[in-house]
Amino acid sequence: MAPELFSLGQTAISAHAFNANRTQVAVSLNSNEAQIFSRRGYEWIPTETLSEHDKVITSIDWAPSSNRIVTASQDRNAYVWQPSPDGSWKPTLVLLRINRAATHVRWSPNEDKFAVASGARAIAVCHFDPENNWWVSKLLKKPIRSTVLSVDWHPNNVLLAAGSADSKARVFSAYIKEVDARPPPTIWGSKLPFNTTCGEYPSPAGGWVHSVAFSPSGDVLAFASHDSSITVVYPAGAIHNVKMTSLPVVTLTWTAEDCIVAAGHDCQPFVFSGSAETGWQGVGTLDDTSAVHRSATRPGVGPGRLKSGAFATFQAADSRGQSSTADASDTKLLTMHQNTITSVRPYESAGGFVTRVSTSGADGNLVIWDVNEVSALTGKIGGLSMR
Amino acid sequence: MDGAFRKIDIDAYDEDVLHEEELYDADPRGQAQVLDEAKQRQVAVRSALSKSDIAGALSIVLENAPYGPTFDDAKVVTLQTVFTILSSTKSTEIPNVLKALTQEEQDTLMKYLYKGMAALGGDVSGSVLLDWHEKLTEVAGLGCIVRTMTDRRTV
Amino acid sequence: MSNSLRPYLAAVRSTLTAALTLESFSSQVVERHNKPEVEASGSKEVLLNPLIISRNENERVLIEPSINSIRLSIKIKQADEIERILCHKFTRFMMQRAESFIVLRRRPVQGYDISFLITNTHSETMLKHKIVDFIIEYIRSLLLCISCLIQPRFMKEVDREISDMKLSLNARARIVAESYLTAIST
Repeated sequence: MAPELFSLGQTAISAHAFNANRTQVAVSLNSNEAQIFSRRGYEWIPTETLSEHDKVITSIDWAPSSNRIVTASQDRNAYVWQPSPDGSWKPTLVLLRINRAATHVRWSPNEDKFAVASGARAIAVCHFDPENNWWVSKLLKKPIRSTVLSVDWHPNNVLLAAGSADSKARVFSAYIKEVDARPPPTIWGSKLPFNTTCGEYPSPAGGWVHSVAFSPSGDVLAFASHDSSITVVYPAGAIHNVKMTSLPVVTLTWTAEDCIVAAGHDCQPFVFSGSAETGWQGVGTLDDTSAVHRSATRPGVGPGRLKSGAFATFQAADSRGQSSTADASDTKLLTMHQNTITSVRPYESAGGFVTRVSTSGADGNLVIWDVNEVSALTGKIGGLSMR
Repeated sequence: MDGAFRKIDIDAYDEDVLHEEELYDADPRGQAQVLDEAKQRQVAVRSALSKSDIAGALSIVLENAPYGPTFDDAKVVTLQTVFTILSSTKSTEIPNVLKALTQEEQDTLMKYLYKGMAALGGDVSGSVLLDWHEKLTEVAGLGCIVRTMTDRRTV
Repeated sequence: MSNSLRPYLAAVRSTLTAALTLESFSSQVVERHNKPEVEASGSKEVLLNPLIISRNENERVLIEPSINSIRLSIKIKQADEIERILCHKFTRFMMQRAESFIVLRRRPVQGYDISFLITNTHSETMLKHKIVDFIIEYIRSLLLCISCLIQPRFMKEVDREISDMKLSLNARARIVAESYLTAIST
C-alpha cells in the first residue's frame, strides 16, 4: 500500500497521537493548543481544540482503552483530558512538581500511570489519587544529569526507559505500590523498588539521546542519539551500534522483535533489522524517493502570467544567483516529508507485528507508511542532497 | 556601592550542573605514554609512506588517537603526522584510501580535518584539507560530520 | 578564484546541513524560558563542538552548533586598510538591516566580520534546505560584492585574471537583467 499523506497545517506538528480505532488524531501544531482531527473519508477535519496550556505543547499521548488524552507542555504542566457525554473534553491538572518544561509523556501499558519527562532533570511518574480526585506524581531524579528528552514503558507496566541530553539512556523502575502488583522478575532485574536504575548506556559518540524504546517483548532496548546512530541493547551482554551516514534520527519505534523504524532530520523513515547474534544494520527506507507520486505533486513555478520559462530563469538568477534552470523551481525535497520528522508511532498491528506506522513532521504533514514496503537507499544521502 | 556581586555566575554553583569533563570518559593512559606512542606512530607512518601504503599509514595514526585536554604534546605530534600523510597523497587516490578505512577511522579523520582547518597556516594548505573533506563527506556522509560535532573526545 | 571557492562552499554547505539538526528545547536553567542555547550557553551538555572551515588563513567560517540554535560567522579576506574599511562598511550596512534578513545577527562574533543566528523556529517555519541554500548564496554573493568593490583598484594591472573579468561580466549582466525586469514587472 502506498504511503498516505495528509497535510494538517502549515506549521510544524510537534506531536501526534491516534485514538484506539484510528478515527481521530490529536496533534499539537507547535502551539499551546492541541487539536483533535476526525477522519472523514480521505480527509482529516478539525473537531475539537484542547486549550489549557499557555506554552507550546511538546508531547501528546492517547490511552487506547480508557480513551484519555494526556498533554505535556513547556509551561511545566500536564493535563489529562477525559471525554464528557456532550463530546467535549474535560481537563484535569496534574500535580507534576517539576519546575522546568515537560518534554515528553507516555501512558503506561495498563493506562493507570503515565510518565512525564522534563527539563528539571527528573521524570514525573503520575498515578491517579481517587481520594482527592487528581493525579499525583513521584519523581525519578537520580542519576539524571540533564533534560530528559524521551521516555518509554516496558510492557510489564513497571520499568521505564529514559533518554536524556547528558547522552545517556537509562532504565528505571517506576514501581508504585498503590497501583502496581509486585512484578515478576525480568531480564532487567528482579527486585525493583521505585527509582532503581537497572541499566545506564552511553551513546557512543556523545550525542543527546533523542528517543528510547523497548522491544515488543521488553527484553531489548533501542535508542537513537544525536551522533547519527542507533544503539540496540541486549541487557545480557551484547550492545549493537549502527552508525549512519545520514543526519541523526530523533524518533524510533519497534515494529517487530527484529525490526525498528527510525526517522528524524533526514526527513524519511529508515528501517533497521537484526538480532543479538547477527548484529544490527540499516536495510533501507520506507520513502521510495524514485516513485512517481512525487512528480505530480510538484507545484508549478507559481501564479502570474509572466512567471514561466525565461522569466523564472532570470528571476532565479537575479534573486538567488542561481544560474541553472534545472533546480530553479526545485523547491521540494524528494521525500514525502519536507522537514524534520518529529515523531514516529505504530499505527496498525496484525499478528503481533506492526504493519503500518505514522509519522508527523515539522512540515505539518502526517504520513502513514506500510512497514513492509522497504526500498533500498538511493545513492544520494537522504533527503538533503549534496550539491 | 559595589555592584560586583551582580556579575557572579550563580549557575556555576548549581550542583546539578554538568561539567565539560563529565561528558566523556577520560583517556586512561598517562601523558608520557601517549606522547611516546604518538612518536612511535610517526616512525611507523614514515615507513608505511615510504612503501606508499597510504591507507595503512592512516590506520596507524588514527587508531587510539589521543583526546582530552591533557595530551597537548601528543596531539601536536599526531596532527603533524596526519598532515604529512594528507599532503603526500595524490588527489585521485583519496577516494580509494578513504574507502579502505573503517567507520571509526573515518570519524577520527574528520575530526583531524576540522582541527587542521581551525589551525591553518604553515605547511598544509587549505585546499588540500578541503579536498579531503569533500571526498570524505562523499564516502562517510553527513553523519560523520555530526559525530565530529557531538563527540567531546576532541583530538 | 571559483576553483578554490567551490570546495570551500561545499564544505560550508555540508557542515551547515549537519549542524541544522535543531529541535525545540526549553531552558533548563531559567524556568519557562526558551532561548538560543548557543547564545545563552547556560548548559554545557547542549552545546556541541564548534567547527571551522577555512580556505586560507584569512578566510574562514565558524559554525557553533547547539541543540536548538546554531551560530555561523564569516571572516572575509582583508589584505590592507582599504579592504578593511570597505568590508566594514559593507557588513555594517547589512547588519543594520538585520531584521530583513531574518537569520542575520546584529553583531558579528568576535574575530569575524558577519554572523548568523539560526534557531529551531527558523528551521521549523522555513524549509531547512532553503536556509542552507540562502546562507551559501549569501556567502557567495558577499565574496563577489566585496571583490567587486575592491576590484577597481586592480584595473590598471596588466595581467588581470580572466576569472575577475568573468565576475564583473556577471555583475554587469545582473544589473542589466534586473533593471530590464523591473521595467517589465511594473
